[in-house]
Amino acid sequence: MLVLSRLRDETIMIGDEIEITVVDIRGEKVRLGISAPRQIQVHRKEVFDSIRRENTSASEVEIEELKIVEQNLRRRHSRTRLQRS
Amino acid sequence: MLLTSSRFGSMKVDDQRAIQFPKGILGFPRHKQYVLLQPNEDSYFYWLQATDRPELAFVVTDPSLYVSSYRVPLNAEQRIEFGIEATDQVQVFVIVNNYDNVFTANFQGPLVINVHRRIGHQLVLTDRRFTTRVPLVELEEPVEAVAV
Repeated sequence: MLVLSRLRDETIMIGDEIEITVVDIRGEKVRLGISAPRQIQVHRKEVFDSIRRENTSASEVEIEELKIVEQNLRRRHSRTRLQRS
Repeated sequence: MLLTSSRFGSMKVDDQRAIQFPKGILGFPRHKQYVLLQPNEDSYFYWLQATDRPELAFVVTDPSLYVSSYRVPLNAEQRIEFGIEATDQVQVFVIVNNYDNVFTANFQGPLVINVHRRIGHQLVLTDRRFTTRVPLVELEEPVEAVAV
């Protein structure tokens, strides 16, 4: 990891088109301004990682697991019909 | 095309059914083409199957079936990038997971598919109302039918 020190209002370039500016520093919190081409996604890492992890876990779901859920969904719906009649 | 799926075997699929994901799906950046499979016509769930990796598939479902107020905000730049001009061209899906026997869906990372252009993206939403694990239904062991 490249570690650079920046003061408030200073900027870092990543490649030709991505700029990160230290907009504000308040105690422990740093506010960063990011300029990047619109096709590049910029997100807090925890959110990205959380979705990535969730996708990976979801990719392991098997047909049998789904069958049980669908069975239950159908049973729930027929139970509702019974209650109404 | 000949689609090979570890779950469903091999099948012939119309090329036009392919959906391109130019950025892939988070965690799987190298797989950019998927096909939507619907094994049961009356099912709430579809499978999004990668065309170049038989084991890679996701269960997806329409989030509006569970949360009718769910809206995926698209800004002007995203609309241009996805080629979306009217809302009826967009299908939103959420990826389903089985977490500790509870079926959940990722409402924070929805899939937005431009139906006409067959292009999809996974969005990362910043709205904290919705999480990556919204429970859909509890997974129970099937029980014997009870006489009413």
